[in-house]
Amino acid sequence: MAEGTPDVKEARRMLGKGICIAGVGETEQGIISDRGSFELLAEVTRTTLDDAGLQLSDVDGIVTAFSFVESTLMHSTTLADYMGMKPGYFASVAVGGATAPLMAVQAAMAIDAGLAEVVLCVRGDNTRSGISSSGMIAMAREMSHGAYEAPFGLTTIGGYGLLAQRYMYEHDIPQEALAAVVATQSEHAALKWNAMLRDAVTVEDVMNDRWIATPFHAMDCSLVSDGAAAFIVTTEARAKSMKKKPVYITGIGEGFSHQYISEAESVASVRDGLGRAGRRAMEVAGITPQDLDVAEIYDSFSFTPLIALEGFGICGPGEAGDWVMEGNAKLGGNLPMNTHGGLIRQAHLGAMHHIVEAVLQLRGEADDSDKTEFNGGNHQVPDAKLAITNGSGGILAATSALVLSSEPPSAA
Amino acid sequence: MSEKPAYTKPLPDLRPEDAPFWEAMKEHRFILPCDDAGKPFWYPRKYAPGTLSATSWTDASGTGTVYTYSTHFIGPSKAYKGNPPHIVALVDLDEGPRMMTILVKDEDGYPSLDPDDVAIGMKVQIVFDDVTDEITLPKFTPAN
Repeated sequence: MAEGTPDVKEARRMLGKGICIAGVGETEQGIISDRGSFELLAEVTRTTLDDAGLQLSDVDGIVTAFSFVESTLMHSTTLADYMGMKPGYFASVAVGGATAPLMAVQAAMAIDAGLAEVVLCVRGDNTRSGISSSGMIAMAREMSHGAYEAPFGLTTIGGYGLLAQRYMYEHDIPQEALAAVVATQSEHAALKWNAMLRDAVTVEDVMNDRWIATPFHAMDCSLVSDGAAAFIVTTEARAKSMKKKPVYITGIGEGFSHQYISEAESVASVRDGLGRAGRRAMEVAGITPQDLDVAEIYDSFSFTPLIALEGFGICGPGEAGDWVMEGNAKLGGNLPMNTHGGLIRQAHLGAMHHIVEAVLQLRGEADDSDKTEFNGGNHQVPDAKLAITNGSGGILAATSALVLSSEPPSAA
Repeated sequence: MSEKPAYTKPLPDLRPEDAPFWEAMKEHRFILPCDDAGKPFWYPRKYAPGTLSATSWTDASGTGTVYTYSTHFIGPSKAYKGNPPHIVALVDLDEGPRMMTILVKDEDGYPSLDPDDVAIGMKVQIVFDDVTDEITLPKFTPAN
């Protein structure tokens, strides 16, 4: 392993304790109008505790996110109260789509500091069914500067569109490259038991879809869904007595380039800013992109994973479109990406499902063929040992990435 | 006497530090905030980003170049329903800063520019759209 800078060494020291994910869970996803936000969180907590072989009383820390429906400034302790817990550590993380990997980092730091040993990280919401139209407008405006962007009718989709169109202009990227991301992930979602969209679509289908904001057709955009997902972070020592094979967190990293899209300096600066998250996570893990077996990359729009793949150094600048069109991101390709369908085909819960899917891949459990009632299929990457996953908040503003491994970090 | 229909699209959040900008806009003057070295920046803040130095305002040309744009077929609220697509753009001002705007025709009511008439690198100039009695928005139109 190459010598790191002092901060990289310190991250390695912390993760060297064997910080791992010992349980995962996810509910059905889609339109779930008969269940409230906290109910979904409790439901997925039951599933996740079962997966790890734990009781609720074994959990001594809780990290949650936020809700678009249940307004509270104390989300983690409100949920703890709802579930009848008295956790010794609690935190609510709110950095938009970067939240899920940051929840894992928050849990790891709490464990390292001796604040907790078994931390439940849980996020979910009935965003699709429960949000009011004024809530939806407020959510859209959240991504805009209230004085100098919102009055021009910017949407979140169009904000990404501004950067995507400049990216396509600078690197001469065809519309087909975006469509290829959608088509690839649709093939994966067809196999995932709880994906909202189960039909495989072609590049032509995406190209012929209705426009929302250029360069995005409707199918280029992520879904709005109800549902929940969770994972349990603990130590290797505690995980040994649990039910499932632990998956180790061996790399963590963050990157930031701007808050408002008007403030983004250039395509290169955004790529570098968000890319730092993945590059640093891989540096901490002591690996290179060539070592990866699977990539669960945040995909708020079809364009989003392209610039992340380049930022992380998996592809060169402007090369990710060709890389996807050549089939590298498909199951059976060089580095299968978003093997659960991602935000554009499975469901939108930030990066929660990306983490859950990465863990299932590294446990060898990403085969849903036995879920016959959901018409599941096999989306397992054979012998997957190393995964990268990330989430981005805002319009590619703030990114957090994890490297996950089936082996403890000392062996990396 | 014809009365303008009520303006229902999003209006800017108003903060005390922004008052000089919106006052100038009302008078159809375009100004930019500058740091203590006289370098203009965007978006306006009481203290300059990066150094938190004192700031002042300077007159600006209102001309620039389209850095990028996105044609919006759906707007952020019901007020856009039934409207033709609108083109949100980032414009690099000749003075340096980049700002968001909307690209319009220089005609009564400033209707949206046709998507076919937009390109990255296009030269544009400001027009002042008095959307309410209090608020004038800086929109941009192809330069003469």
